[in-house]
Amino acid sequence: MIKKTFKIPDMTCSACAMKLESLEDDLDGVKEINASYHRLEMVIEYEEAKLTDEQIIAAVKKKGYNAVLAN
Amino acid sequence: MSKQQNKSINPVFIVTLGVVFIAIAFMLFAFPLNAQSADTGTWSQLVVAFITGITTGGLSCLAVQGGLLASSLANQIEQDYVEQAANKKQKTPVRTNSAFPIFLFLVAKLVAYTLLGALLGWLGSFLTLSPMTRAMLLIAIGIFMIGNALRMFNVHPIFRYFSVEPPKFITRYIRRTAKGTDTATPLFLGALTVFIPCGVTQAMMATALGTGSVAMGAALMFAFILGTSPVFFIVAYLTTELGSRLEKFFMRFVAVVLLILGFVTLDGGLNVLGSPLSFQNLTRSWLPSQSETAPSAESPQPSAPEGSSELILNVEDNGYFPSTLKAPADKAFTLNLVTNQTYSCARDFVIPALDYYELLPDTGTVQVNIPAQEKGSTLFFTCSMGMYTGQIVFE
Repeated sequence: MIKKTFKIPDMTCSACAMKLESLEDDLDGVKEINASYHRLEMVIEYEEAKLTDEQIIAAVKKKGYNAVLAN
Repeated sequence: MSKQQNKSINPVFIVTLGVVFIAIAFMLFAFPLNAQSADTGTWSQLVVAFITGITTGGLSCLAVQGGLLASSLANQIEQDYVEQAANKKQKTPVRTNSAFPIFLFLVAKLVAYTLLGALLGWLGSFLTLSPMTRAMLLIAIGIFMIGNALRMFNVHPIFRYFSVEPPKFITRYIRRTAKGTDTATPLFLGALTVFIPCGVTQAMMATALGTGSVAMGAALMFAFILGTSPVFFIVAYLTTELGSRLEKFFMRFVAVVLLILGFVTLDGGLNVLGSPLSFQNLTRSWLPSQSETAPSAESPQPSAPEGSSELILNVEDNGYFPSTLKAPADKAFTLNLVTNQTYSCARDFVIPALDYYELLPDTGTVQVNIPAQEKGSTLFFTCSMGMYTGQIVFE
């Protein structure tokens, strides 16, 4: 399991965080997602063997947001 | 929601429901005009709540709770397609029922928020001990509204903290529940929206708390959510038709209205505090003509003859007349508060500096002993909501 943080600069309210957290159910290999509108970020815990950063970014894009991997 | 899914919503049903909601809205407006004995202050508060709902609440709520509704609808539509596919073999057409879950969702939301309003009003009854508490609450609500408006304008990251993030376990529970396809799901989801209120709703909840009354809190939330419903309903249907630019425009509009309401509420709080810095108190001194405002013809004329130790203030439905009284300095006097079939909140009379608060009778005279004041000083008076104001200038 690995934990990564993605910056989501175009979140506009706390509902966006809820929307992003629903990726927990959509993406294979995800253990937990914690998104925060206050910090404009999403922390995702997942199995590296099953999911790539690009797949996560694409899934976020599908929800209507842009994700950038934080350092 | 895809465009294909949207096509399955029966527009006739939507328009019918929209008409019903708007008819209820008109009844809300029409009723107080015919109800002579109704408390116009109460009604005006409900009408403001309704207008807030119809103008800003619907769009703001949709931004926050629309996802829930969409999930609920998507499941319903998915179920319809499955049924349709199964019946294709039998060549039996299946009507889609997408509008029905929206209706259930909104009804459940209306009931849930009305109950929440009652609860908040009840809790507020423990808080509304004094005009000072009310003033602090109004100021807090005003700041909250302004903060949320500035958040929507994306002025500074700090304003994001004006948006309350529901606890993780609640959002997770709601999300999992949204996967159901039975009739109870949209009902349940509608009720669950109380846990994810939008900024405007949160502000209205704070106002319900400020009423300090179970009935008024419930009525306020009912009027507000009823106002949000037609917009919620129509926009939910047209969601994909609105481009992102148009959506942005709507959110800016919401922010502007919220900002105005926030300043009005904050100003009300300052009035109840007796602050000379409130907009009304500031402009009264800048615009002296306002103090000349005449009372209505049927009201007794105020008089302050030379050497008299009494002043008359007419308390009417639309305020205090005259809004500026002149009194001799260094001399105590009696202020006669005259009401004549006055039903608005102007009856809730407050002189903050004297810590004086009195609910006046709808018709009659109440006397207030005003102690001697220094020359050049001003005593502000107001209704308990800070809507109607006036001043006594000592010279």
